[in-house]
Amino acid sequence: MDILVLILTVPFVFGVIMFCMPLHFKLLQSLHIVLSVAVSILLLSAVGKVVNGEELSIFHNYIFLDSLGAIFLSLIAITGLLVNVYATTYMKWELEDGHIDIKEVKNYFALSFIFTWTMSLSVVCNNIAFMWAAIEATTLASVFLVAVKKDKKSTESGYKYIVLCSIGLAFALYATILLFSAANGKIDGEAMLYTNLLANAANLDSVALKLVFIFALIGFGTKAGLAPTHTWLPDVHAEGPAPTSALLSGILLKCAMLGLIRYYAIVANGVGFDFVQTVMVVSGTLTLFISAFFLIRQHNVKRMFAYHSVAHMGVIAFGLGVGGAIGLFAALFHCAAHSFTKALAFCSTGNIARIYGTKDMTKMGGMIRIAPLTAVLFGIAICSLVGVPGFAIFVSEFLIFKAAAIGEQYLLMGIFAVALAIIFIADFSHFFLASFGKVEGEVVHNSEMKFSENFPLIALAILIVAFGIWQFDSFTFLLDESVKSIMKK
Amino acid sequence: MANINIIDVVAVLMMITSFAVFGLRQYRHSIQAYALQTLLLVIIFLALYFKYGTHELLIWAGTAFVIKVLFVPLYLMSLVKKLGLVVEDEPVGGFFISPVVALSFSLAVAMMLYKVFIHFSLFQDVLPLYAASFIFMMGIFGFILRNSFLKQILSYCLFENGIHLSLALMAYSSHELVEIGILTDAIFAVLIMSVLAKRFYAAYGSLDTSKAVNLRG
Repeated sequence: MDILVLILTVPFVFGVIMFCMPLHFKLLQSLHIVLSVAVSILLLSAVGKVVNGEELSIFHNYIFLDSLGAIFLSLIAITGLLVNVYATTYMKWELEDGHIDIKEVKNYFALSFIFTWTMSLSVVCNNIAFMWAAIEATTLASVFLVAVKKDKKSTESGYKYIVLCSIGLAFALYATILLFSAANGKIDGEAMLYTNLLANAANLDSVALKLVFIFALIGFGTKAGLAPTHTWLPDVHAEGPAPTSALLSGILLKCAMLGLIRYYAIVANGVGFDFVQTVMVVSGTLTLFISAFFLIRQHNVKRMFAYHSVAHMGVIAFGLGVGGAIGLFAALFHCAAHSFTKALAFCSTGNIARIYGTKDMTKMGGMIRIAPLTAVLFGIAICSLVGVPGFAIFVSEFLIFKAAAIGEQYLLMGIFAVALAIIFIADFSHFFLASFGKVEGEVVHNSEMKFSENFPLIALAILIVAFGIWQFDSFTFLLDESVKSIMKK
Repeated sequence: MANINIIDVVAVLMMITSFAVFGLRQYRHSIQAYALQTLLLVIIFLALYFKYGTHELLIWAGTAFVIKVLFVPLYLMSLVKKLGLVVEDEPVGGFFISPVVALSFSLAVAMMLYKVFIHFSLFQDVLPLYAASFIFMMGIFGFILRNSFLKQILSYCLFENGIHLSLALMAYSSHELVEIGILTDAIFAVLIMSVLAKRFYAAYGSLDTSKAVNLRG
């Protein structure tokens, strides 16, 4: 059977299987890990075929996997697997503490497969309307991963999530319809296919394309967490369980960003890069400074990381705005670097919440003595988030500076440096607050987690350092091919 | 020519019903106005089918009728009955100001948008294109200005109707799978929002979303 058909069916079937399982935690835990591994192997084998130069396409090219999609599919496979494995540990704690019941755990595991399925679908759609439907489906599939509990806060976060993302994505659907109608009859082949639209972008009406891009930016930008429509994100990421936050921030935001990047490519090749770059610079700068302002004021560790997600979406937008081959490369690299980093950051908040029983960093302290490994993992996440050399995010941020320098965009370099400096100061002050000094509040769990429980976090930390130090040829190949496909002009 | 007139008339009626969905205070009336609007949308699909003979539009009309004229309104009616709701909660700015603001801004935004749409629309008639943007914007303002969760679900349905009308006018030759994909999402969105609305009602004792201030934005 074709690998793309498997991608489109297997995670969904696994989700249904999980729904049908008996309410026995050990069984659910083991099955969740085994099935997650199977899904990841499947997704990575599809990515491997693209790396080997195969062209994957089915259903009259409605579904395809290009190098751009392969980058994001590999994030779903790697980050998704590690977070899903950590989720079994996190849910065990929640179950033991009586915060959640076994039925809710089962639903969580089942829905996480449906969520993976919708995210995978969104990256393999060549048909732009299907892509929109898949991205909207990611919201629908993840609502109850966020609103796991039925209390006020959980319900409120679920409400904000679905309402704001649905409004945002309505604009993206409008962009889809406008793009199709602008292209229908004016290009060779089916006007709903991204590949056809990209190949024939120069034949499209420039006024229509500009409007399409603005609508797409509002739509996918809302879902991706770009300011000023980012307001749902801190509430949802802060309120959901740690693994949900890791999945949303580590992968889902990137899927929405992929939707925007596909529109970026079409419009850039239609009306020229100046227009899309200007729009993205404005969006990126706005997002960076708004998030930096809120970041300084946060003492809730999850809320702080949520604003970080907004900030880093701003970095990606900024990279797209600086443009050029290096700027685009940096933006795409940042998607991967941020995915691993933010997954580690949010998963480590799961450990931290278990140790202190709170998410308020002013009530923490002394973590380096209580749980040294967690403190180190937390530190690695912070170091990467602020762009310390040797960690993954440094690479992309450095490349954005380089792209701006080559383009002699010195003002942009200055703006970017100021925003990163604010984020740097805010983060390290928070990190020191939680990790060192004396304990300000209560310690609920006065020991380090087991190695098996910390294993997914350690793996993520290794990935962050590895991507900060080494260059992986296959990944670089995907990035280069993606940049070429976007800059086809 | 006769078909074009019918489409114009139905488009204006759709605009009026969108204002009714937004403005009517009783939930039952608002849902009925939405069902009527969707029926009008189905009539436009059929009128375009007879005008252009595009087979896809016939399939759209059938699926939209089953899903949006029958299923969604009946489901929302049962939700209203189950929760024992009659009149919606006070909207932002009050019952009088809120429709005036929505109407004014929607008319103004539609005025800007249709001029762009007409450049590349397959259907070159001003009024229906204007109506499509207007209905979309009424839905967006419904979300922003109405505090009731159920009214916000109806607003979602409203802007989805606006998008469908745009799709029919500007790209009626698109594959029927596109329409079905979008409709499937719409059903799940309404169902999931309804489940959340029930939870919201259980947690807060009303559907007034202005009470949701536990999180800090």
